[in-house]
This record gives sequence, structure tokens and C-alpha cells, in this order.
Amino acid sequence: MVIPRRLSTWGLFAAMIVVAVIMLYPFWYMIDNAFRNGGQFDRQSGHSFAGWHQLFANLPVAGQLLNSTLVCAAAIVIILAVSTTAGFAFAKLQYRGSGTIFLLVVSALMVPLQSIIIPEYVNLAKFNLTNSYAGAVLVYAALGTPFATFLMATYYRGISDELIEAAVMDGLGYERTFLNIALPLSLPAIATVTVLQFIQIWDDLLVGLLFLPANQRTITVGLATLSAGRTTSIPALMAGSIVSAIPAIIVYLIFQRHLIKGLTLGMGR
Amino acid sequence: MARIELDSVTKRFSDGTVAVNSLDLTVGDGELLVLVGPSGCGKTTALRMVAGLEEVTSGTISIDGLPVNNVEPRHRDIAMVFQSYALYPHLSVYENMAFSLKYRKIAKSEIKSRVAEAARVLELEPYLERKPRQLSGGQRQRVAMGRAIVRQPRAFLMDEPLSNLDAKLRVQMRAEIGQLQRSLGVTTIYVTHDQTEAMTLGTKVAVISGGVLQQVAAPQDLYRRPANLFVAGFIGSPPMNLIDARLERADAGPGGTLGPEVVFGPHRLRIPASVLAEHPGLDRYLGKEIVLGIRPEHLTDASLVGTSDGGSVIDLPIKLREELGSEVHVHGAIGEAAHVGADGSDDVHSLASLVARMDPRTKIAVGDTAPVAVDADHLHFFDRDTGASIRR
Repeated sequence: MVIPRRLSTWGLFAAMIVVAVIMLYPFWYMIDNAFRNGGQFDRQSGHSFAGWHQLFANLPVAGQLLNSTLVCAAAIVIILAVSTTAGFAFAKLQYRGSGTIFLLVVSALMVPLQSIIIPEYVNLAKFNLTNSYAGAVLVYAALGTPFATFLMATYYRGISDELIEAAVMDGLGYERTFLNIALPLSLPAIATVTVLQFIQIWDDLLVGLLFLPANQRTITVGLATLSAGRTTSIPALMAGSIVSAIPAIIVYLIFQRHLIKGLTLGMGR
Repeated sequence: MARIELDSVTKRFSDGTVAVNSLDLTVGDGELLVLVGPSGCGKTTALRMVAGLEEVTSGTISIDGLPVNNVEPRHRDIAMVFQSYALYPHLSVYENMAFSLKYRKIAKSEIKSRVAEAARVLELEPYLERKPRQLSGGQRQRVAMGRAIVRQPRAFLMDEPLSNLDAKLRVQMRAEIGQLQRSLGVTTIYVTHDQTEAMTLGTKVAVISGGVLQQVAAPQDLYRRPANLFVAGFIGSPPMNLIDARLERADAGPGGTLGPEVVFGPHRLRIPASVLAEHPGLDRYLGKEIVLGIRPEHLTDASLVGTSDGGSVIDLPIKLREELGSEVHVHGAIGEAAHVGADGSDDVHSLASLVARMDPRTKIAVGDTAPVAVDADHLHFFDRDTGASIRR
């Protein structure tokens, strides 16, 4: 049976609308219920700012947002510094054992965070790094680096060897070739790593809960404490979730251009 | 300007493959040497060793008499044009051309004037602010050339720089590169698999096969006096006809002279005295099997040239006629003689045939048995076993 083109297009649209509704419903639920009080939430009717008042009364929102930002930024800087240089080395420099080392790095991706969190805690405690930004930042960086290195190496492999050789012939050493050629060309991959790691670190609860003291808690940990008491205010939690989601959306919007745009166009034939 | 010498240069990769085997080459100051050969013959590896991008396993590469085996590419003062152009996609045309000068700490005003001059010569002035992706293939190729020129290096290395262009543009850029190289007078090594490019561009052409240098000579010498079967079959289009033949002592001719004849299939060709004088070594092959080489342009329609020399006309059954406008390629069967492949082996896939490049006025048609005149003054002879040209 031949389905007319128009009909199949409409069918596709209908399917996409269903998927979109499934994806967007939680956002709608979050926004709708953030503007209610407890009673309005139970009845699912009426709106107010009570949830927001409760949120700001119970949580140092600004301070926790700042904590999240600091931890995220520091960890991402370390992840980028390590993954871009390591990725370039794995992709473009020939040395004995590079394949094995790359496999080792990639195999670190298979290790679940929960299984190593206790040894990590013990290790950092030995260096007196628990209960501080530094401890959390190092753990986040260690957890994010393998995937970021894998992604950067894959990206650098896509850059023609001749381009790197052209830079070498033009008089650059490998350090400058990396800084002046490879790094600018890998902006899309850097943007991807930044966005993915930002979302992962920003949303993480476990590491923040274990390694940060109460006054340095991130917003995600803060939100979790909202529901730790005997009663949980869902509207306040929803309001907090909106506050927590906004930075991730901003980061995505900033880097979206690089995520989509391929910079490598036109380098060859 | 520089003189580049390769002395017994060998490249063996870690898997044991010998890409270049004991290569001896000299490129004189200001010369353009073309390395030509089929894909995988080692010509690009040889070029990359000169550039310093590939380590030399054994032998010595010298520039102006100084060995450079252990000198880093950036200190060799050589510019390279890559097959893919390898332009920096995030930089403008101007920045691409100025790139190396910037890192060599050359004054800004000097950089500006060098780039401007190169852009003028290469007609790139309107595109200086554009990114490579906004340029056509030919323009990108010019930028790649410009990037090499502005450096004013001791030598240029070019790795198949025209292979990504369409046929028409390739012819145009080929002429431009030749002109540019002559006007700049910079020593150049140019790698290509295209024999037309090699013949038209090179001051000297080095033919490489299987990592081994087959012959290095001026283009015309290479064409007229190929050193072996490989060169004979590789240079020239259509390639030289290579046929299994036998050298025999002739009966007394009309003039009563006795001299060797070359016999292939049912055909006998008298070898002129001038050819014998040029190939004294032929004496040793009397009564023996050899490989006979005839260029397609040395086979002509006997009815057009009106030759009276019966000793150099053969009757060929015509199998195929290809019209090329300015010339006609006529394929004729030569009976039982085997056609010899460029590597000296019997080419069992092709029927034993000869290709003739004829004047378009020829009336020869498929199915005819046509009289074809052989210009016996231009016959080539090769040893059946070694493939080497028989001369002395």
C-alpha cells in the first residue's frame, strides 16, 4: 500500500507532537506548580508566589548558585585543560603505547561513580581535601575527564594530518600547533564538552553532598535538603528547580552556536 | 635557493614495508624535479623525507651539502604545498598566507608587502579577507601556493597539488605553477602520478616504481630513450606498444645489404643502419627473444604517407578506431605475438594488438586489413629478462 506523501508528513508531525508533549510536560508541571501554595498544589487549582517565598526563606539561593557556579567552572577548566591536550596527543602524536593508554582512559568510563566514591573520599581525606571546594572540584574533574578526552581525541582524529603537518612546515612546534591550530578548530568539541559537563556537574547530588560543607553547598544539594524534613513543600521545590535549571539553559544557549556549526568546513578540497 | 641531494635514501616502515629503496637523486639549484610513478610507488614518502615529516631509515638527505636527516622540518627552510592544500580553515586568506611569517618574527610591514605581492601574482587580491571555505578549488590551490611563496624558502615541495582540480583548471594551474617556478627560480620537487604534468613541468623527471628509481632524465630524453620497460610503458599516452619479438638475420634486401630484422607474429621489420649504429648492443641478441617497443605516433596510415619502403609496412587487421578530433587511435591485431605488460610480464588480459596514433584524415575502418607504416628509425628494444633497454 502506498501512503500519500501528505498523509505520511502529517503522521510524522503527529508522532513528533506526541514526543514533544512527553518531553515538555515535566517542564510545564514544574512551572505550573512553582506558582502555588500547598493547598493550591493539593487541589491543583489557583496560583500564588508562596512557593517562591518559602524557597528564598529556607535556602540561601544566591550563595548556593554561586557555589554551583564556582565548582562547575573550576572543574570544567581542569577537564578542558586535560582533555584537549591529552586528546590531541592521542590523536596526532605518534608514541609507543598510546593506544594502550587511550584504552585505559576510555575504560575509566565504565567505572560507576558509586563504586569508587568511598575510596575517593578516603583518598581526599588523607590530603585534607574533604569539606572544601577543592575536593569536590577534583572529584568532578576526575570523573569528567575520561569522557571528555575520548570526545576530544575523536574530534582531533577528524582533523586532517596534513593540516597539522602544514603548521609544522610553517615553523610551529607541536605546542604552538596545538594552541594556534588544533585548539581553535576544536571549539565545537570544546563547546560540547563544556555543556555536557556543566549539566552533569550542576545536577550532581552525591559528590556535592559528601565533599562540601553546609556553607559551600551547591544548589542541587540545597534543593535536596528542602525535601529532607518531615514535610516537603512541592511548590518550593519546583521553584528551586526552575532557578537551578536557568543557568544550564543559559550555558546551552551560549554554546549552541558552536555545537551546531562545524568550523572545519573549507580546510581541504 | 638550494641544491637537494638524496644519497641511498631508504625508508622502511615499522611493518617492514620498504617504501623507498636506496634512492639517489640530485636536484640542482633552481631546478624543478618531478617525481612521477603509480600510486603507492613511494614518491610521496620520498618527498615527505625531504620535508622532514618522515624519518629516513638509512641514507643521507643534504640541502646545500649539509645533511639534514636530523634537522626538524621547521629548521629546513622548505615550504610544502599539500594535496589537500591544508589551509587553516579558521583563518582568512591573508592570515593563512601571513601565518608562517608571523611566527618567524618578521616585521609587520614586511609581512604585509610580501602577502600583497604574492596575492597580486596569484590574483588573490579580492579574496584576502575571505575564509578558505568561501573559495573555489582553484582559489584554494592558489592560496596554498601563496602560503609557500611568501616564505621565500630555499625550496618548494609540492605533493600532487593539482589532483583535486577538474581537468580544465588543472591544465591552467599547471601552466601557472610552471611559470611561477621559472620566474621565482626556486628549487622545487613536485610529486605527481600524472605523466602529462611530469612531462610539461619538469626540468628533470624521475620515474619511480616500487620504491626504486627507474630513470631520471629530461622529459624528452625520458620519452625518446626510456631506460627500461617500466618507463617505456609509463611515459606516453597512449603508452608505447610493447611486443614480444625475435631478432633475426635478414635475407639480402633489395640493395643486397644484410642486417638484422625484428620479427613479431607474422610481421618482419628491417632495422635501419642508423638504428643499429645507435644500438650496438643489438648484435648480442641476434637469434634471441627481445621486447620490441613502438610509440603509437610511429605507426601511420601507409596510404597517407605513401611510403615506398616495403620493409617497414605491416598489414594490420583493424579492431577498433577511436576518434579524438585532432587524431585517431587505431587498434590493430598483431596475430600470435604476445603483448607485454609494463612490468615485463605477458599481459594475458589484453589481446595482442598495436595502437597507432594517426592523422584524422585516415580512411582506415574497423574490419579492414590496412597497410600501416612503421617508422623504423624510432624502434625501441628491451631485454626480455631484465626489461632494460638494449643500447650498448
